[in-house]
Amino acid sequence: MLSLKLAVGTLELGLMYSIMVLGVYLTFRILNYADLSVDGSFTLGAATAATLIYQGFNPWLASATAFIVGCVAGMFTGVFHTKFKITALLSGILTMTALWSVNLRIMGKANISLLKIRTIFTDFTGLPGMEQYGALVLSIITVVIIGILIYLFLNTELGLALRATGDNEIMIRSLGVNTDLMKVLGLALSNGLVAFAGSYIAQYQQFADASMGVGMIVAGLASVIIGEVLIGTSSIGRTIIAVICGGVIYRAIIAIVLQLGLEPTDLRLLTALIVLIALVAPNISSKLVAFKGAITRKEDQYAKSTNSN
Amino acid sequence: MLKVQTLTKVFNKGTINEKKALDNLSLELAPGDFVTVIGSNGAGKSSLMNAIAGVFLPDSGEIIIDGVNITKWPSHKRAELVSRVFQDPLSGTAASMTIEENLIMAIRRGQSRRLRWALNNKNRDYFRRELARLGLGLEGRLTTKVKLLSGGQRQALTLLMATLQEPKLLLLDEHTAALDPKTAEVVLELTCEVANKSKLTTLMITHNLEQALTVGNRTIMMHEGRIILDIRGAERSNMTISRLLDMFEKASGVHINNDRMILAGTR
Repeated sequence: MLSLKLAVGTLELGLMYSIMVLGVYLTFRILNYADLSVDGSFTLGAATAATLIYQGFNPWLASATAFIVGCVAGMFTGVFHTKFKITALLSGILTMTALWSVNLRIMGKANISLLKIRTIFTDFTGLPGMEQYGALVLSIITVVIIGILIYLFLNTELGLALRATGDNEIMIRSLGVNTDLMKVLGLALSNGLVAFAGSYIAQYQQFADASMGVGMIVAGLASVIIGEVLIGTSSIGRTIIAVICGGVIYRAIIAIVLQLGLEPTDLRLLTALIVLIALVAPNISSKLVAFKGAITRKEDQYAKSTNSN
Repeated sequence: MLKVQTLTKVFNKGTINEKKALDNLSLELAPGDFVTVIGSNGAGKSSLMNAIAGVFLPDSGEIIIDGVNITKWPSHKRAELVSRVFQDPLSGTAASMTIEENLIMAIRRGQSRRLRWALNNKNRDYFRRELARLGLGLEGRLTTKVKLLSGGQRQALTLLMATLQEPKLLLLDEHTAALDPKTAEVVLELTCEVANKSKLTTLMITHNLEQALTVGNRTIMMHEGRIILDIRGAERSNMTISRLLDMFEKASGVHINNDRMILAGTR
């Protein structure tokens, strides 16, 4: 169904998007916070990196800068929520809305093309033996390193405090942790990762566009849920692997349905459906089991009653 | 040790729901005091604890622990001096995290959290020894997620977490009330054991009048945000539950109409 080239391209894109999904995982699952600023910070990362690279900046440093500005955007959401007591959803929406203008300011126009300009991918594919699969290898290395770093972080004293903040805020505050600070930290790291993913995607696709982040949060949530359902969440390490795979699988689903002839404009509807199904499926499957059980019991009874006759 | 001076807190000031939770309340605890707190619903027992733990700031008055004025400290900062066990067994532990993870978080109560690997085998040995003291078989289940434990097990774990790093002051807010009688007894015994062993200064709210007189060395009774009775020593050991109820009526000028308190007294 998929040609090799398309499959490799999907894998590359999926891995890069899973950096963003790891960011969404940090807020959505670890902090128990649905952070809508993701839509804006993804574009922020792309816009920052693309603008810097276009002006001749080192692409590796530009990607690092994207991470940092993403962190700053996340801090704004965190401060709105913790200091100004604005609800989680609205804090995210405010940052997302503000970032739309900020992103256009950064780029100075609606999009920037990076065609024939040095990016991290042109650098990497220039290395010996990397001509063909350079982008794939670079995305694998990046995702693996980030995954390991997140795993290590979540097992440090600070990481445990962050996890407890999302689990039981009263308890961890009574143990002396400033939960407001933890939320700001979590949101900063999350948005930093999302912006970092944006910088990768912009360099990979060789353009940045003001609207490239729209719908990113729902795609991120869909990926987290798909990964968790298919791979499981029994431990932190396993969940991180699940989240990465979720990001790749989500892209694969998109690629397949596009191959099957679905219009790209229908993708949002499909994504919403995936999230809906994933959220509802556990309920349905348990009901289905109960329903099947009831049927087989009835059949048993019927079999017994006919046998006795 | 603990010095509470003329503490006052009014909720919903100026509205029809105005409620004086704490009314010019003063209380002094000596080091090692184990004080039981009784009183009908709405007497201000929990408000007193919330004020000490920093859940809200008082309208006036001061809270001093070991000579340090903590009246304006945020609650997370007070954690280095005060630890607390809540009534709800679910609120003292992080459900999605393992027993050892919960314990390691508790061991650093009131200290800064660093970017350092949290758990090591030395910690684990220590946790196994401490958990074995609970006698609930938890020492073999360090990596079990806390959500798989029963309410009693979780409350016992919370108590251990509250005392692992010795606090200046231990606050117990009806911490056995939500447990079945047998588990409640185990947790209470454990409480006395821990408090005795480390001579912890403790404040324990209870609705069980018998418990109020047998546990600890001092009993205070609250009514409408004030302390209306404070007994210890011989006066306390000669006290009976019915006399306690009489004294409550005399001191407060109201008849006991609280089912819960009467029930607790007659049980």
